[in-house]
Amino acid sequence: MKRKTIFSGGTAITLALSVVATPALAEGEVNILTWEGYADQSFVAQFEQESGCKVTATYVGSNDDFAPKLAAGGGVYDLITPSIDTTKTMIEAGFVEPLDTSKISEWNNIYEKFRNAEGINHDGAVYGMPYSWGAIAFMYRVDKFPTPPTSIADLWSEAVKGRVSLWDDKSAIYVAARLNGDNDIYNLTDEQIEKAKAKLIEQKPLVRKYWATAGELVDLYAAGEVWISNTWAGYQSSLIKEKGIEVAEFIPKENAEGWMDSWMVVKDTPNLDCAYKFLNMQSSELGQCGVANVNGYSAANPVAAKKCMSPEQYEALHQDDPDYLNSLLLWENLGERIEAYTNAWNAVKSAN
Amino acid sequence: MFAGQASPVLPVGRRWSRDRLLRNLVLGTPLVWAVVFMFIPYLIIFTYSFWLKKYPTFVPAFQFGNYAQLFADPQYYQVLLRTAKIALAVSLSSLLLAYPFAYYLVFILKSPRLRLMLYMAVIAPLWVSYLLRAYIWKTILGNEGVINSFLVYVGILDRPTDIFLYNQFSMVLTLTYIFIPFMVMPIYTALEKIPRNLIEASKDLGVGPLGTLFKVIVPLSLPGIFAGMTFAFCLTFGDFVAPFLVGGPDGVMVANVITSQYGAALNWPLGSALAIVMLIIVLGIIELSDRVERAGRINLA
Repeated sequence: MKRKTIFSGGTAITLALSVVATPALAEGEVNILTWEGYADQSFVAQFEQESGCKVTATYVGSNDDFAPKLAAGGGVYDLITPSIDTTKTMIEAGFVEPLDTSKISEWNNIYEKFRNAEGINHDGAVYGMPYSWGAIAFMYRVDKFPTPPTSIADLWSEAVKGRVSLWDDKSAIYVAARLNGDNDIYNLTDEQIEKAKAKLIEQKPLVRKYWATAGELVDLYAAGEVWISNTWAGYQSSLIKEKGIEVAEFIPKENAEGWMDSWMVVKDTPNLDCAYKFLNMQSSELGQCGVANVNGYSAANPVAAKKCMSPEQYEALHQDDPDYLNSLLLWENLGERIEAYTNAWNAVKSAN
Repeated sequence: MFAGQASPVLPVGRRWSRDRLLRNLVLGTPLVWAVVFMFIPYLIIFTYSFWLKKYPTFVPAFQFGNYAQLFADPQYYQVLLRTAKIALAVSLSSLLLAYPFAYYLVFILKSPRLRLMLYMAVIAPLWVSYLLRAYIWKTILGNEGVINSFLVYVGILDRPTDIFLYNQFSMVLTLTYIFIPFMVMPIYTALEKIPRNLIEASKDLGVGPLGTLFKVIVPLSLPGIFAGMTFAFCLTFGDFVAPFLVGGPDGVMVANVITSQYGAALNWPLGSALAIVMLIIVLGIIELSDRVERAGRINLA
């Protein structure tokens, strides 16, 4: 730990020196609060070179991290990437400002369904630039399941006692509600939430650990602790496979949630120029294939994606498959009801 | 601050006022520190605890709804009770390990160099990152960890067991390991202060070694025991890293709930109310231990 601190200190000094040495780099900056991979050096380095905007990224582990960071005082971040269930909260809390979509050249190539999504449109203005999307799929270790699991019920089976993991997030309520047959998961009644809560408490003896970060889930699989869980489709499974463990993703018969992340501009940012340059890069081939290659997520701009993806990748990411996209239960903002959901999830974790 | 810096010789009168200024600075600094870093933050949290959660964030108000919710919803006292249980287990197991160790260092070990070395062996881990020390237990206790691999290798188990990691046992173990220096230090100091002639007198009067231990040494080291127990209990009570790293589905402690109210639920008022309740509990325990310790204090003079 100590050595790491010294090392990163050294890196900071090197970076500072390189900025001094090449004045071209110091033209502007953009500070982003985002998910791991969304500002990966594999494509951001080229952007920094070409635009002269220095990119500083801070990472979040959950959609719930955006609001507290912004509520604690502004002036730190210029861009954020909340998912479609959180975007409305950002708008209504006054954390973000409307976009000038005429300044984003690829705007009209983005899926119409996303551009018109209720979560990023408010009072006739657009607040978010759709970036990437995917499913909250389920995942299992191929060697541990002679018959591949097909249902959420497989995470409630005695056969996998102590080998189950679930995302430590309110989405656990969505999972349990679907298992209960309550499919309108974003408009659950108090009674349905109570039933989902009971279902999750019933599952607790089977759970090894609730996973909080992508890296933690990868570690749990790598250490042989977990055999079945939910996952951010495309992301953790490829990291686990790199460690030599064969895992497969599946969409259960109870269906899966879908998510979509948008770039939003923080209100009154002083770095508007660099911010728009960054948005243009992210919606172009560089950013769209960047996130597809780094995170394994699908791109929001199929036109750009088609130009930079191989036909196989284009198909694997369901870029030309509107039915797949429409079949997913795309996350919705819960509004005031979010409290009922988070309280229920907290109660599950507090239960003995 | 600047007045305190070295400067050329000044007239006597001005030097006097400079001394006074310096003295005020020296005495005033801790006060300023306490106000800026303790009272103001606590006051802010205290104020928040009366605010109202209102989507999408929260609004200023003066109402007791947050406190009422803490008492009405069983999840909060369940977590408080669990936290207290784990904190008690950690302080008791640290005591059981630390006392014999400190006793050995002070009364049995003859070589001062070896004593210092062993003492430092307990203290040194404090210089290693807390996170790293907690993380290491994962690799020891896990399904494919050191203990399980060993037990399977020698044939005691035919397959790895889950009982070591991701439960309350692993939390108590990890926290005991992390906080045990805070138990060893005060007990060591207390034992070292016991005049040897009292122990000799006890022996001369025909009291056996066990009798001497429980009638002379333990009572005289009570201040150290209380200090250590208080440290271990209060530090565990506020911990939120161990549940995150080595805790299982039943491992959530009160600090994790506060974190989640500040983060996921975006309910700072409720989180603040819980933080105030936690602060009162911890202050209560410190006060209680102080009183018990004072009542039992034996004057050695």
